[in-house]
Amino acid sequence: MMNEMNFKMPASLNELALNLDNADEKTYLISGGTDLIIKLREKKIYSGTIIDLKGIQELNYIRQIEQTICIGANTTFTEMIHSEILIKNAPCLVQAAEQIGSTQIRNAATIGGNIANAFAGADAIPALIAMGVKVKMMNAKGEFFLKDIDEVVIGSGKNSLHKDEVITEVIAPVLGHGYKSFFGKVGSRERVTIAKLNMAVVVKNNHETGVIEDARVVLGSLGPKAFRSDLVEIELVGKYITDSLQTEFEKALITQIDISIAGRSSRPYKREAVKALSEDAFSNLFGSPAWRCNNEK
Amino acid sequence: MELIINVNDIEYKLDVNPRMRLLDVLRENLGLTGAKEGCGEGECGACTIIMDGLAINSCMVLAHQARGKKIITVEALEQDGEMDRLQEAFINNGAVQCGYCTPGMLMSCKALLMNNPNPTDEEIKIAIEGNLCRCTGYIKIVRAVKEAIQNQ
Ligand code: FES
Ligand code: FES
Repeated sequence: MMNEMNFKMPASLNELALNLDNADEKTYLISGGTDLIIKLREKKIYSGTIIDLKGIQELNYIRQIEQTICIGANTTFTEMIHSEILIKNAPCLVQAAEQIGSTQIRNAATIGGNIANAFAGADAIPALIAMGVKVKMMNAKGEFFLKDIDEVVIGSGKNSLHKDEVITEVIAPVLGHGYKSFFGKVGSRERVTIAKLNMAVVVKNNHETGVIEDARVVLGSLGPKAFRSDLVEIELVGKYITDSLQTEFEKALITQIDISIAGRSSRPYKREAVKALSEDAFSNLFGSPAWRCNNEK
Repeated sequence: MELIINVNDIEYKLDVNPRMRLLDVLRENLGLTGAKEGCGEGECGACTIIMDGLAINSCMVLAHQARGKKIITVEALEQDGEMDRLQEAFINNGAVQCGYCTPGMLMSCKALLMNNPNPTDEEIKIAIEGNLCRCTGYIKIVRAVKEAIQNQ
């Protein structure tokens, strides 16, 4: 028993809770597969218990319940891309899902797995932080609890879950009237973090006054963990949408990069790369003439 | 551990270590060596197969995760001695050079056409984005897929 690999296939959350009892550091949860399989091979793990979450049908859904969107942990990125609910209410999550890996990876990888693995370049995380999502988890007693995405993701491949806890759902608010969202990235698909930068933005624009009332700007790949940039957000809030604001936005992003990765060899590349990203963000969020400000005073 | 798996419409009952990947079982237990191991990390697509109608990397799923699913490998493309129109189009267009990427490439394209019989150029590119080819420069592959669409 000690030297072999066990495999558990719970078909329901109840069964999963039973499987999580006695979970220890040799218990491995698998959903999409991608990350765990690499780990099993790299770390030469030959014994322990693998719990396959993929057979739990009740964790596969995207539902809107009034002002919240609930995404089951087993939902794949391909399923997110095709979800009318997300396309309408959380475009940045769809944009992030579209830019993850390749078709094969999007068909297999799940939102729950992406959060649990929390590696620095995990593309879904910045968009999830910008959306202000909560993560629902279950423990071995079958009890559910909620945490902010920021508390769950520690970064560099670590999460704050205990061994007997599992992510079951992601809960996103429906963004209210006047809100828009964006996700973009530059750099290669390969796992070379040096050549990667991603950003998610959620803004609220007051249609009557033309002023930005709320802004959340999250940058990924500038440290072990994606984070909200206060100094970039401050640059946007209370401003009219103009071309000069775009310049200020870009400058603030460059300042943030200088602060976050001072002295790193990736800094010159990322300073350049962020220019394209900020342009994309601006045209995506404020591109239509109705959004650009005509009544600048 | 017992695994019942459906590959190319045949049901197999196998004894498989839970650590084994679907790719290992296809190649070693079933002798279906069309799917190749390039990187073993989800980057190259040489191991692409179709599971429940979707292209996936067989190096990135455990064999036991494929229980109860319908797997299609490149070996099933040829039916009764007749090549699939995709295979013919690949040959006609010089889309096969060294051939290492070809089985995976064919399965990505097959999955695309199963779900979307009339893809745009952009959709073809997205479908094969996860399949690395060092030889053809992709243009011939896209051309082959377009020919296969026309011949359907
Ligand atoms: S061998 Fe599976 S993606 Fe490269
Ligand atoms: S034909 Fe050689 S890698 Fe594609």
